[in-house]
Amino acid sequence: MAAMPSEARAASNNPSMRFLRPPGALPEDEFTTRCIHCGQCGEACPNRCINYFGLENGVSSIDTPFIIPRQKACILCMKCGDACPTGAIQPIKREMEPVIKGVKMGRAVVDEHLCLSYQGKTCGVCYRACPLPDVAIKVQHLEQPVVLENCVGCGLCERSCIQMPQAIRILPIEDRPVL
Amino acid sequence: MTAVSPIRKAPGSPSPILRHLNKLRWFVLSFVFALLVLLPCLHLYQTFVAAHAYDLLAPSEQRFYDVMEAITEPFVSDPEHDLDMVKGTTWSGQFWGLKLTDPLAVIGQSAAGLTIFWPFVMTAAIPVVLTVIFGRFFCGWICPATFLYELNSNLGALLRWAGVRIGARPLDRRIKYLVLAIGLLASAATGSILVAAIYPPAIVGREIYYVIAQGGIGAGAVFFVVTLLFDLLVSRRGFCRFLCPGGALYALLGRWRAVRIQRIVETCNDCMKCNAVCEFGLDPARDGFGQECNNCTACIAVCPTDALDFNIRLIDLAEQGPGHLGRVYRKAHTSEGPDPEGPNPENREAAE
Repeated sequence: MAAMPSEARAASNNPSMRFLRPPGALPEDEFTTRCIHCGQCGEACPNRCINYFGLENGVSSIDTPFIIPRQKACILCMKCGDACPTGAIQPIKREMEPVIKGVKMGRAVVDEHLCLSYQGKTCGVCYRACPLPDVAIKVQHLEQPVVLENCVGCGLCERSCIQMPQAIRILPIEDRPVL
Repeated sequence: MTAVSPIRKAPGSPSPILRHLNKLRWFVLSFVFALLVLLPCLHLYQTFVAAHAYDLLAPSEQRFYDVMEAITEPFVSDPEHDLDMVKGTTWSGQFWGLKLTDPLAVIGQSAAGLTIFWPFVMTAAIPVVLTVIFGRFFCGWICPATFLYELNSNLGALLRWAGVRIGARPLDRRIKYLVLAIGLLASAATGSILVAAIYPPAIVGREIYYVIAQGGIGAGAVFFVVTLLFDLLVSRRGFCRFLCPGGALYALLGRWRAVRIQRIVETCNDCMKCNAVCEFGLDPARDGFGQECNNCTACIAVCPTDALDFNIRLIDLAEQGPGHLGRVYRKAHTSEGPDPEGPNPENREAAE
């Protein structure tokens, strides 16, 4: 992930196929074997950010949950982990420490060529949208965002970015096949 | 009539309440289906409550909100959290913290992962125990797809009455065990629980949720419509009888089920209504129940002489021959006198 410049990675991703698993989800291979496609995570989600695949991501992920953060991002309520009967989404306590340690949906990447704050205007919306401000993301002078190591990838920054296309994106941490 | 010996009252005359079990079954099926429609609606309502944005909803959504509020107000004080108590579908759900899962989900997940995850496996313990005792009761009493399939076969009966030809091809019942085996093997090969994609109750629960809360249907809905057509065009309740992997699993689990329907040969009059009404095409009139019977009690409800009863046995009765009130038996026994080797209550259970 560090090997490729952030701009290149963001550009190479087809946005419609870049998806996140719900917070606390196991690594991709283990997740698809554990998930029984029951839909309880989506039914528990108060933000209705969890969608379900049809056949577009292959047969093995049919009816499995995913999140497209630009459409609707995770608010880290951690209800889906409690609802999941199989542990495909691990139950995680809704507190700072367990969330930072257990949730690995992805990591935010700032595209400085698109970000308004890096282009001479002050914005800072992503910082203000972040549920973990100064823990997952901080701002320098002129509200220029810098993503920190503790970012869990909930996607609220990408959801709230006022730039079109968005200047901050969540890249999934796991090496999952990008179609 | 005068020549017939007086009707002997059978030793264990069935309780008249059994005749009404079929109504109770229909009530349960409707209740489960209504719950599957209600739960996604409640979820939607919960998200509206959580958003604190009643004024920003569309007029139709406000009406929906008002209706849901009226339904839930007597039962919950804090809808956003209290309504989390009942969630899920028949495939996997939870009631006040008690998680219940379809046994097929456990077997399919274990096959997909090639591991056993005990906390999940234990959620199927209650359904498995009930299936061992009552056989395929899930298929007749709970399955939300059965609700639609039975309505579909009623539609088939209506079409037949109107003169449309309805499929009635008997296939081999063992095909579904093959479907189960292939489904589990495919799950193991792909590492994803593929049986869930061809299992109607899971599909119905999921698709109702998709339609209400996600605004769209998935591939499963198309598959389910194909199975409805299969039932109409090929064989009545054909999917349940010949293809359903879950039905295969429950039939295997319930092979030596304790609670069975049996025929009381003394009061049977060979009217064959039970055979006609049996959705699974079994042969109650000649004691042919087997592991496929789902204890739906439709045959008990239709029997004019109350000759069908529940019994606690591990295997079915052997075939008892024609009913004693039927024409065949009476002809044999009135013209030539009682036949010492004919069926009688003493050797009824001896032929096991």
